[in-house]
Amino acid sequence: MAEGNSQPVVVEMRQIERRFGSVVALRGVDFTVRKGEVRALMGDNGAGKSTLIKVLTGVHTPTRGRIVFDGQQVVINSPADARALGIETVYQDLALVPLMSIWRNFFLGRELHKQVGPVRWLRKKEMSEQCRKSLHDIGIEIRSAEDKVGTLSGGERQSIAIGRAIHFGAKLLILDEPTSALSVAETQKVLTYIENAKDKGLPVIFITHNVNHIYQVSDSYTIIRQGEKVGTYQKGDLSQQDIADLITGAREK
Amino acid sequence: MHWAKNLVDSLSHRFGRSPVAGPLATFVVVLLLCLLFVPNFGSWRTISGIVTAVSISGFVTIGITFLMVAGEFDLSIGAMIAMSGYLFGAVAVGADSQITRGLGAAGLPVAEGSGNLALALILALTVPALMGLVNGLILVWTRIPSFIVTLGTRQIYRGLVWLTSGGVLLQTLGKPPIFNVFNGRFELLNNLPLFEGANFRTATVWLLAAAFLGQYLLVHTRIGNHVFAVGGNVGAATAQGIRTSRTKVLCFVFSGLMAGAAGVISFSQFRSVRVAEQAGVELTAIAASVVGGALLNGGYGSVWGALVGILMISLLRSAVILLDIPFIPADNFPAVIGATIIASVILNNYLRSRASG
Repeated sequence: MAEGNSQPVVVEMRQIERRFGSVVALRGVDFTVRKGEVRALMGDNGAGKSTLIKVLTGVHTPTRGRIVFDGQQVVINSPADARALGIETVYQDLALVPLMSIWRNFFLGRELHKQVGPVRWLRKKEMSEQCRKSLHDIGIEIRSAEDKVGTLSGGERQSIAIGRAIHFGAKLLILDEPTSALSVAETQKVLTYIENAKDKGLPVIFITHNVNHIYQVSDSYTIIRQGEKVGTYQKGDLSQQDIADLITGAREK
Repeated sequence: MHWAKNLVDSLSHRFGRSPVAGPLATFVVVLLLCLLFVPNFGSWRTISGIVTAVSISGFVTIGITFLMVAGEFDLSIGAMIAMSGYLFGAVAVGADSQITRGLGAAGLPVAEGSGNLALALILALTVPALMGLVNGLILVWTRIPSFIVTLGTRQIYRGLVWLTSGGVLLQTLGKPPIFNVFNGRFELLNNLPLFEGANFRTATVWLLAAAFLGQYLLVHTRIGNHVFAVGGNVGAATAQGIRTSRTKVLCFVFSGLMAGAAGVISFSQFRSVRVAEQAGVELTAIAASVVGGALLNGGYGSVWGALVGILMISLLRSAVILLDIPFIPADNFPAVIGATIIASVILNNYLRSRASG
């Protein structure tokens, strides 16, 4: 149960409680992530892991509890607030626009432009080059940033969404079921990028219910069941079977 | 020969990524076939006629393309054109109309017999833009699909035009020179020895200007990037912090502005407007946009493609008339548009999946 990492704390969620009417989705959960750590957040469907992350990304506000980010107590009321703090989320289905080119997706909402008087126009070439270079720097090779995202495989799309989050200075990267729809080979690739992110000191929260996918890259696991934290465990503390048992409640902590 | 193959590959790849590519290639093939096989087709008279025929619907098509890329429609555009036509016509020449009297009574600088061109243009462009704004606001506030919203406002706006105009046909005898600037014979071009027999009109120049403006907005600005994102995957756009409602509303405003321009162009040529003016033009514009490569459910399309689409429809109309096929008289032309829409979508889907595969 010990938190073995001695790096500084990036985010600390304390006694988070969230109710939806009379339904209690989270019952006072503590959750801490340190720099350079890959943390798996695990739980069965409906256990509360998504709710916890949505509190952190501003989609839901907590009924009770507080959040400390980078040493400061913060109030996160919207996804825009979370982004402004450097909390970047890569959603499974909501990451990219398939019919748009890679660079247009990469810079979506943060486009670079030139301005002469009142007239502005996009710096397309510059964005295209920056996008290719930035992806190359974290080990993602693309043929051309002009290609449409729809032509890429699921793994490549996830990689680009992750690369985009890293490029725009994420301080905390949250991946929502990033590998659930991927083949084994593609999952391996995505996991490599996550390791690259970790090597740069970027903390990663990895939400999943697939034990196999996270076993190799995660440093620690937090398991949630029925709105309560079961515990946080270091890599090596538990076997895959132990994790599965804790998620389902087949075994108590 | 290796370099030549590389060049062809690179060109086709580059070209294939452009949404205009498929429709333009089809257009060129059909044009060549017409030139070869349709009697009397290869004359400037016919060609200029095809171009001139799209000078009003072209504006509508540019506006509709923005909406279609954003994943929306506007079926009330015909009424906006009528509104623009009445406001422009009545105010520009100071016509004998309740519009002129009403505005004059409200203290605006216009009276019967004394028109006000600047005021006419401002009203003719801003009122349809406001009508578009209302469509957009109803859409984002109620979340009712735009097809339904504008099916409603389509009737309401005709009623508004009827109230504004008094329900009467507006026709003016005076012809200020400015009408020739907006939509007159383009004699400068027609008198060139090269264009013998041509009948180009100045409206085509304004249409091209609108197309360049549309292309700039859609492809070279942030807002254009957001329009594609909103139509392509609204969830992804929201997650990237894009104000999706504002983006959609702006598309409706732009489309309304284009309808306003169409009303000015139309009145400048015909010097008359009626309440039912341009009924059904929206459907032709949607057809042109689709023939020009736009996807019905959003996220894909182009201004140039849409213009190619409307030209294609106009070209086929001329070809069908000239071919004089017994079972397809000119009156039966809509059937040809119908076949064109379906054929184009099949072809565009094929080309798009090849280019992106």
